[in-house]
Amino acid sequence: MIRRPNQSRTIILLVAPAIVFVIVFFILPLIFLLSQSVVLEDGSFTLTGYLDFFQSRVSRIVYLRTLRLGLIVTGICVLMSYPAAFVLARMPARRRSFLMSLVILPLMTNAVARTFAWLIILGRRGMINQTLLSLDLVETPLRFIFTETAIVLGLTQLFLPLMVLPLVSAMENIPDDVLEAARSLGANRLTTFLRIVVPLSSDGLVLGATLVFTGSVTAFVTPAILGGSRLLLMSTLLRQKAVILFDQHAAAVVAVVMIVTTLAVNLLLRVLRVKQS
Amino acid sequence: MPHLEIHDLTVSYEKNKPTLERFSLNVEQGELLSLLGPSGCGKTTTLRSVAGFIQPDAGRIVINDRDYTRLPPNKRDIGLVFQSYALFPHLTVFYNVAFGLRMRRIPKAEVHSRVSNALKMVGLEAFADRRPSQLSGGQQQRVALARATVIEPQVLLLDEPLSNLDARLRVDMRQEIRRLQQQLGITTLYVTHDQVEAMSISDRVVVMNQGAIEQIGTPERIFAAPETVFVADFMGFDNHFSAAVLSVKDGKLTVNWGGAPIELQWRSKLGSPHPGARAEIFFRADNASLLAGTERQGLPGQVILHTFHGNSLRYLVETQVGEFSIMQDSASERFEPGAAVRVRPHTEKWIAILEET
Amino acid sequence: MISRWMYISLVILYCFLLGPFIIIFMASFGANANLAFPPQGFTLDWFANVFETSQFIDSFWISLQLALLSTIVSLVMGMPVAYALTRFDFAASGTVETVFSAPILVPGLVIGFAMLNFFVLLGDMQVMTGLFIGHTAILFPYSVRVISASLRNLDPYVEDAAVSLGANRLRGFLLVVLPNMQAGIAAAFVLGFITSFNNVPVSLFLSGPGVTTLPVSMLSYLEYYFDPTIAALSTLLVIFTVVLVQAAERVLGLSQFV
Repeated sequence: MIRRPNQSRTIILLVAPAIVFVIVFFILPLIFLLSQSVVLEDGSFTLTGYLDFFQSRVSRIVYLRTLRLGLIVTGICVLMSYPAAFVLARMPARRRSFLMSLVILPLMTNAVARTFAWLIILGRRGMINQTLLSLDLVETPLRFIFTETAIVLGLTQLFLPLMVLPLVSAMENIPDDVLEAARSLGANRLTTFLRIVVPLSSDGLVLGATLVFTGSVTAFVTPAILGGSRLLLMSTLLRQKAVILFDQHAAAVVAVVMIVTTLAVNLLLRVLRVKQS
Repeated sequence: MPHLEIHDLTVSYEKNKPTLERFSLNVEQGELLSLLGPSGCGKTTTLRSVAGFIQPDAGRIVINDRDYTRLPPNKRDIGLVFQSYALFPHLTVFYNVAFGLRMRRIPKAEVHSRVSNALKMVGLEAFADRRPSQLSGGQQQRVALARATVIEPQVLLLDEPLSNLDARLRVDMRQEIRRLQQQLGITTLYVTHDQVEAMSISDRVVVMNQGAIEQIGTPERIFAAPETVFVADFMGFDNHFSAAVLSVKDGKLTVNWGGAPIELQWRSKLGSPHPGARAEIFFRADNASLLAGTERQGLPGQVILHTFHGNSLRYLVETQVGEFSIMQDSASERFEPGAAVRVRPHTEKWIAILEET
Repeated sequence: MISRWMYISLVILYCFLLGPFIIIFMASFGANANLAFPPQGFTLDWFANVFETSQFIDSFWISLQLALLSTIVSLVMGMPVAYALTRFDFAASGTVETVFSAPILVPGLVIGFAMLNFFVLLGDMQVMTGLFIGHTAILFPYSVRVISASLRNLDPYVEDAAVSLGANRLRGFLLVVLPNMQAGIAAAFVLGFITSFNNVPVSLFLSGPGVTTLPVSMLSYLEYYFDPTIAALSTLLVIFTVVLVQAAERVLGLSQFV
């Protein structure tokens, strides 16, 4: 970083166009949204929108379900990624970069396409039902679609790369020597993994968990396809209130609750990261 | 008349905390002058002000009788070598060196001959088509030198040019820079924090501390006769202790050294010292010798440890005045840890400095 | 240090990540319309159907234009921001960084919803304009971050070197900085393009009658039809992405920026 006296004018010129764009087209709409959630049509201020939201059984269930599924998805992603990320991080560079591009690939494909696969797997005549039927384990096809399991599977597949990537890059930075030092001091593999690798990669874990959790609680496509209107999450609830019930005030409340939730999680985990370092 | 003049230069990054305050310096035509000091002492700020990257709050910079102070950096006739070399990664060695000439709209044929010439001078004519990333650190350094000198600037500025090289290469490059500088006869300002480097390469050295000049002089002078405690510390005097002045006579002062008075030359910015003042006394490890404990002269002490340095042995000796580091010829009598010894001072090379405390 | 069960977990991970793609791929060639598994027979009818469905073709062109336009605009405006963040030391840099990472922190669906309401307030705005604004805003975090990363890899003093050799600031930037940012700009472009091209949540509310992005029209197709056409279209999109990402990875090492 170069320090130059009298640099403010240059900086303002560089930053201004984009800042103006973001303020006018991003910050202002969000402020307007916030005001929509607390102002009634006659212009009076009210918090009834929020009271209604938290008093209504349906929206409470939806909110808690969203958080619960987010936690489950995050947990599964952690368990699936941790050992695998360690193997990836210890690989020779060329093989690793090939395998990493396979991790990125799903991230680069649209969510509709990726969720559609679960319809084929979980559908009435899908892979699982056909297998169960042919093995005579069931007599009629089971219903998997529109269940929480289906949503969890879909979201896990969607966000798994967001856990793998930060974990691998955190683990790449652990020198081999450190692991060998731990082994030479008498730690077995499991102990080394738990006492050395996990603490040293906790930054990546926290980042990955933030991304996966906030992604899961705000995702729209997967709950829309695999949960439908029977099994609402916050995002599908927002869509329902805005488009089907045409209640913009209630929709704005849902939207603000979603923002506050994601910001709170981000803030919480950021504090956690700062504390560690 | 000096070639480069810096008059009362004042630069502050933060309000009321000037990095440089009324800093003045003259560099003669063809002279290599080093700015030596720890990081944050203002040496790089001085250099960047001369280059024009920092607009000073006050003061003037004059080169060859022309006022440069308000001139933008691209209009100044100055060659600059960066600590990181700052070679253009996307250009070949040839085009890196040619860059300044092309900016000056020099005809193609002349660019070609001057670049070839410059590359020859630094021994890189075979590398003209390489990219910087394909060169070693020393070669990159040479490209940076060629690039800065090919434009035949009024003044050459070097900012810690050797700090990214390993120790052996540094010694080679030091000589190479000096040779090139003398061949071109170019007025040069050289910034470094390495006192050995400054000593070996410069005509004159400026020791800087907190934006001000501590001492200015030839390398020999600064090495032998530091004028301030800061310079003495920075010049690597191995041993230091404080003592009260007993008397002052004939340009020398006397202090008590473990019961025996010793006479020392002194430096003071406060005028002549008076008896009772505190003097800071410095001497190098080879300006004292060890005698067997049975001798009568010298300060009694005990060897704590010794380390081997090829031709010499370095002893750590504990005395009633303090612990001293003393260098002895390896061939001389050897004292093992625990042995009683006496320390004989070579006071003619010791120095007493008086400063306000 | 690596035990067998760790390798097994790696295999499971990849099955889970890539298995769905294999299933889509198989389904898109299957002859049965009800998506029963395993697919029976072989047909290319579903691919033909993709190209015969005008809603896909129209929305593909819209998505393509939208992705190109918003990526370019977010790059052009984001690059000076990245430059300021990486080349100057200023008090507000933290705030600026937060502002430009904010669009990632706010759920896309909420962004789309808030923008729709706001644009209605502003008056008559074309659907395409709304989509363009929405996409540009969500791409800023990517362009600023990727370009910043690429600028951080370049010695900040090369510009000073160019200036000390006689170039003015602008020429120094054009001759020395820009050529060394090519890889970063290309990476930011690919990343931005893909992000916009695949986006559903922001586009959902901002799409309007006749103007829909491809992923949104895929989603609405699914509400009415349940046949392998979507599988065929997904296969095409995966191939498109694989080619794009592999090319970018090969040439630029994309994964270091993600």
